[in-house]
Amino acid sequence: MTPWGRVLAAVVPVAVVLLVCGFGAETASIPDAPIIVTAAPVYEPLAALRGEERFPKGAQLLMVQAGKAQPLVPDFAVTADANISFDAKTVLFAGKKIAGDPWQVWELTLADRSVRKVIASTGDAIRPLYLPGNRLVYAQRTGHRFQLTAAGLDGADAHPLSYMQAGALPADVLADGRILFEAAFPLGAELSRNPARGVTPELYLVYSDGSGVESYRCDHGSARWGGHQLSSGDVVFTHGASLARFTSPLATEQRITAPRGDYAGAIAETISGAWLLSVRSAPSAPYALKLWMPGSAALQTILMQDRQNLVEPALLVPRLTPKRHPSALHEWSYANLLALDARESREGTLKITPARVRLETLDAAGHPVALGTAPVEADGSFFVQTPADKPIRFVLLDQKGATLRQEHGWFWVCSGEQRICVGCHAGPEHAPENRVPAVLLRSTAPVDLTGNRQPIAQGGH
Amino acid sequence: MNSRRRVHLGAVMAAGAAVLLLILLWSVIDRPARAAAGNAEDYASPLELLFSPDGTRLYVLCNQSNEVRVLDAASYSLIKTVAVGRAPRGFSLSPDGTRLFVTNSWDDTLSIIDTQTLAVVATWPVGAEPSSVVEDRGGTRLFVANRISGDVAVLAAQTGEEEKRLLAGRGASYITPSPDGSKLYVTHVYPNPHAHTTQQGNRLTPESEITVIDTARAVVVERIPLPRIAGVFHTAFSADGRLGVVAEVHPKNLVPLAHVEHGWALANTLTVFGADVGRPVEVPLDELERYASNPFDVVIAPDKSHIYVTHGGSEIVTVVDVQRLLHFIHTHPGSFAQDLSASANYVVARIPVGHNPRGAALTRDGSKLFVANRLEDTISVIDTRANRVASTITLEGPKTLSAVRRGEQTFYTARYSFQGHYGCASCHIDSTFDGLTWDLEPDGFGRDIVDNRNLEDIKDTEPYKWNGGNPNIPMECGPRTEKYFWRSENYDNLTLAALSTYVRSLPARPNRWRQASGELTAAQERGKAIFERGKDKFGNPIAVANRCSYCHSGPKGTSQKSFDVGTLKATDHASPLDTPQLTNIVLAPPYLHDGSARTLEEIWTVFNPNDKHGRTNDLTKDELNDLIEYLRTR
Repeated sequence: MTPWGRVLAAVVPVAVVLLVCGFGAETASIPDAPIIVTAAPVYEPLAALRGEERFPKGAQLLMVQAGKAQPLVPDFAVTADANISFDAKTVLFAGKKIAGDPWQVWELTLADRSVRKVIASTGDAIRPLYLPGNRLVYAQRTGHRFQLTAAGLDGADAHPLSYMQAGALPADVLADGRILFEAAFPLGAELSRNPARGVTPELYLVYSDGSGVESYRCDHGSARWGGHQLSSGDVVFTHGASLARFTSPLATEQRITAPRGDYAGAIAETISGAWLLSVRSAPSAPYALKLWMPGSAALQTILMQDRQNLVEPALLVPRLTPKRHPSALHEWSYANLLALDARESREGTLKITPARVRLETLDAAGHPVALGTAPVEADGSFFVQTPADKPIRFVLLDQKGATLRQEHGWFWVCSGEQRICVGCHAGPEHAPENRVPAVLLRSTAPVDLTGNRQPIAQGGH
Repeated sequence: MNSRRRVHLGAVMAAGAAVLLLILLWSVIDRPARAAAGNAEDYASPLELLFSPDGTRLYVLCNQSNEVRVLDAASYSLIKTVAVGRAPRGFSLSPDGTRLFVTNSWDDTLSIIDTQTLAVVATWPVGAEPSSVVEDRGGTRLFVANRISGDVAVLAAQTGEEEKRLLAGRGASYITPSPDGSKLYVTHVYPNPHAHTTQQGNRLTPESEITVIDTARAVVVERIPLPRIAGVFHTAFSADGRLGVVAEVHPKNLVPLAHVEHGWALANTLTVFGADVGRPVEVPLDELERYASNPFDVVIAPDKSHIYVTHGGSEIVTVVDVQRLLHFIHTHPGSFAQDLSASANYVVARIPVGHNPRGAALTRDGSKLFVANRLEDTISVIDTRANRVASTITLEGPKTLSAVRRGEQTFYTARYSFQGHYGCASCHIDSTFDGLTWDLEPDGFGRDIVDNRNLEDIKDTEPYKWNGGNPNIPMECGPRTEKYFWRSENYDNLTLAALSTYVRSLPARPNRWRQASGELTAAQERGKAIFERGKDKFGNPIAVANRCSYCHSGPKGTSQKSFDVGTLKATDHASPLDTPQLTNIVLAPPYLHDGSARTLEEIWTVFNPNDKHGRTNDLTKDELNDLIEYLRTR
C-alpha cells in the first residue's frame, strides 16, 4: 500500500461524519448508492486550464458507502476524475500508478476490482468521460496545454477534438451527445493565474467528432466551470464560488440560490433529485461533500475530512446513455463556412454592411496571420473555404479595409466540416431566418481562404 | 480515409440486410397476426375531440377505425360507437347541438349524425378530401374545407346541395368560427403557390394565409397573410373574440440544412391576432435545446388565462400564459420569431402526453383539458390547475402494436432528431409531402436543391432520392436519415424495420379523377394517347426513350430508372435523375427534382425547351390540358 493509501485507510473510516443540519421536510435523503469522490489536500480547480496541476499534493479516489470511505484504487499513488460507465459496472479515472508517472487514463471494473490502462501517453491524460459507442473523451496534455481528445475504450483511434493554443478540459457528456468543456473566454485565450481583464473560464460545447464548437451561452463575463447536466436537461455549474445553471428556455445563466458557502467543481444528482456538492464554509477550510435538495435551506453533510478537499463526486448508479453523434464530416482536408448575416451579433447589429471579411489564423508563435479576404454580400452573407483543425477567426472590414468588428476569440472547424452561422457571435438563441443567402445566389463555390492559394474572389456588395 | 470518419460499409450493409429480412418476415407473419395485433383500421386513432354543449358527452373522432365514439364525459364510459366514412378528419356540432357533422376525407362525403339517436341520418357527397365542417348560426349553410381543391364549399345545411366554392389556401383543412359565428377562419396545410416565377426560381419564402369568410354573405372578406409559414393547423379564439391564435410551422427550407441545433430546420410557432394584439404577430414555442414539434390544435381557456397547444411530434401540450404573452408582445415590438429564448416569457408548462397528440377539448369550466393521443388510442385528461395529466382514458382496440403501428409512431414522433427538433411527419404532413424544396447539406450549400416528394404508394418505386442514391426504404430512412436529418443517434434495427414497413404500407389516396367505371373521359383518352404516342403531330417518330410512357412506365408510372431530361441546373451535380412515380402526381406540386415547375404545364412549357423531357413542344395548350387530364387519373 502506498503512503497515501495507508494514511487514508487509517484516517478515512474515523473521519466520516454524517452531520445533519436540519431535517426539514425538504431535506434530501442520503443516497443509498455508493459515492466516489476525489480527496485532495490541495485543490486548484482551474489549474489544469492553465496547464498546471490541480492536485499538487496528490489526490485519491474514495468510495463512500454506508458511512465509510475507502480508497477506490489503493494500489495507485494518485487517482482522481472518476466517471461512472452508463451501466455503472466500470469507472474511468485519471491516475498515476507511481507518483512520478504522468497522469494516465485507467478503467476499473467494479466486479473484480481489476484495473486496465486505457490511454497510455507520454504526457498527462486527465478528466476521462465515457462517450456512447464505446468511446471516451479526455484531456491530453500537448505542450503545456490540455486539448480535448477522443478515443476508443481500447485506447485506439485517439484524435484531438480541440485545436487551440490554450487549454480545454471536458466537463460532461450531455444527453444529446455533445461534449461540455471548460476553456477560457474568449475561446483560445490563455487563462493565467492573474488573467487578463475579460479573460474568464467559460463553458463550451463540441460534438464528439470535434465539429460544431460553440459557447453554451453567450452572456459571457462570469467565471463558469465544473458543469454537469441534470436529468432535467439543465446544466449546473460553478459561477465563481456560487452555483448557477443553464436552462433550455433561457439565453442567459440563471443564478441558483443555495445555502451560503464556497462551491467548487461539478455536482452529482441523486435519484431523488438532490445534489451532491463540494462546499466549504470559508476559503481556509477544505471542501466537504454535502447533499442539498434544491430549494431547501439546509445542506446536509455527507462526508468531511480534516485537511482534505472532497471534490468531483459521482454516484455509482446506472444512467442513461447519451445519444451518439453520427458524424457527417466529409473526406476533406479543409472546411466550409457560411455566414448568413455577418452584421448580426449579440453586441449589436452592425449598421454598416461589411465589404469584406478577413480570415486569420495563428502561427506557431501565436501571432495572427491573415489568410485572405472574401466579399461580404449586401445581406451580410459570405461563404468561405477555411483551413481545418487550427485556430481561426474572422475580421469584418469596411470598403477601405478598416476593421469594423473582429471576433474576440479563436475557434476551429474540423476537416470536412460544413458549418453555418447566423452571424458573428449571434448567440445560440438566435435561429436563422428563412431566406437564401445572397452569396449562394452569386456562387455556390466558397472563396478559398485556406491559405493554400491566393483568394480569387474580388468585389463585395 | 480518416478512421474517425470511416463509414463501416460492411456493418451498414449487414444492418440493412437484417432490416430487410425483418420487413420480409413481417410481411409474411404480420398478416395472420393482425387479428391480434390489429390492422390499421382496427386502431381507433382518435384525432379530434368535442364536448356536447351541455358538457355531458365527449365525442371522439376516430380516424382509422372510421367511427365517432361517444363517451360519457364524467365516467368516460362508451355510450355508443357510430360508424362513418373512410378516414374521417374533422367534425363539428351544429350550433343547437342536435347534429354532428363529420367529414370523411377518403370518401368525399359528409356524415350527419343525429345527436339524440346517435345514428347517421344522412351522408352527402362533398368536395375532394373534405377535412373540416362548420354550420352557420342560423342553420342555413354548411362550410366544408376541401384539402385537395383548396377551397371551402358552401352547402345548404338541410339538403347538402352545394351553393358555391370559395377559394382558400392550398390544402385547405381547418375551419374555426369566430365566437359570435359571424366569420369563419380557414387554414391550409400546404404553402400557397407563388404567383410568379422570379429570379430566385423556386427559392422563395413560403407563404400561407388565414382565409376569413363572412358567414352571412358566404364570401371571402379577408386573407390574413402568414408570411414565412408552411403548414397551418387549428385556430382558436378567446370567448370575447379579441384574441385569435393559430398553430403553424415556420420552415427553414431556404438555408442549407447543415445542422439542427438553434432552430435550423423548422420553427414551431403561433400567430396571434385580433383586437388584443393589433397586427398579427408570430411567436415561437421552441426553446434553445427543446422543441415544440408539430403544433396542431389550439384551445383557449374560457377565462382567457391560458392557451393550450398540442404538439404531435414532441408529444406534449404547451401551456401559454395569455397575460404574459400579451405583455411580451406589446413590450417587444417587431419580430422575435427567430428568438429561441422568447418562449420563456410566456410558455409556462410543457406537459408530456401520449403518442402523437392531436385534437384537444376543454371542459366548460376550463378545469380539464382532454387530449387525443392519436397513435396510442388514449385520451390524456390534464388537470389545468396543476398542469399535469391526471388520468388517461384508454379507448377500446387492439392491445398490441403491429409493426405498421410501431412504424407509424416512429414516423410521427420527433424524439429521434437532435434535441427532438422534428420528425418524418414534420415535412411529410399526414404522411404526404410539404410542398417545399430543401437545400440539404451533403450536396453542398446552395446545390442540388430538392423537391420533397410525396410518400403515397411509395412501395416498390425504389430507388429513392432524386439521384436514385438509396436502393431501398431502410437505407433511405436509416443511415442517411440519421446522418443528414436527425443529426443524432437513430432508432435500432427493429424500429427501423417497423418504420420501413409503415412507409411501405402507405396507400395512395383515392383518385378523384378516375371514373367508377374505369373508363377514361374523352379528354383523358386524348391525353393517354399523347402519353403513349410514338409519333409527333408532324408524323415524325419519337424515339422510344423520349416517349412519356417509356420512363413513366409500369403501374406506378416509373421505370425505376434514372434519366437526364434536360432539367438539371448549373447548381446541380451532373447526374441523371430518378424517374418519379406518377401516383396522384396532380396533388403534389411543385414539380421537377428541384420544384422549379409550379404546375404540370410548366414542366413542358417552361422547362422542356429542347424536348428532352419527352416530345411536347409540338403540343397545343388544349393538348397539354388533355395530357394533364390523363395524368390526373394516375
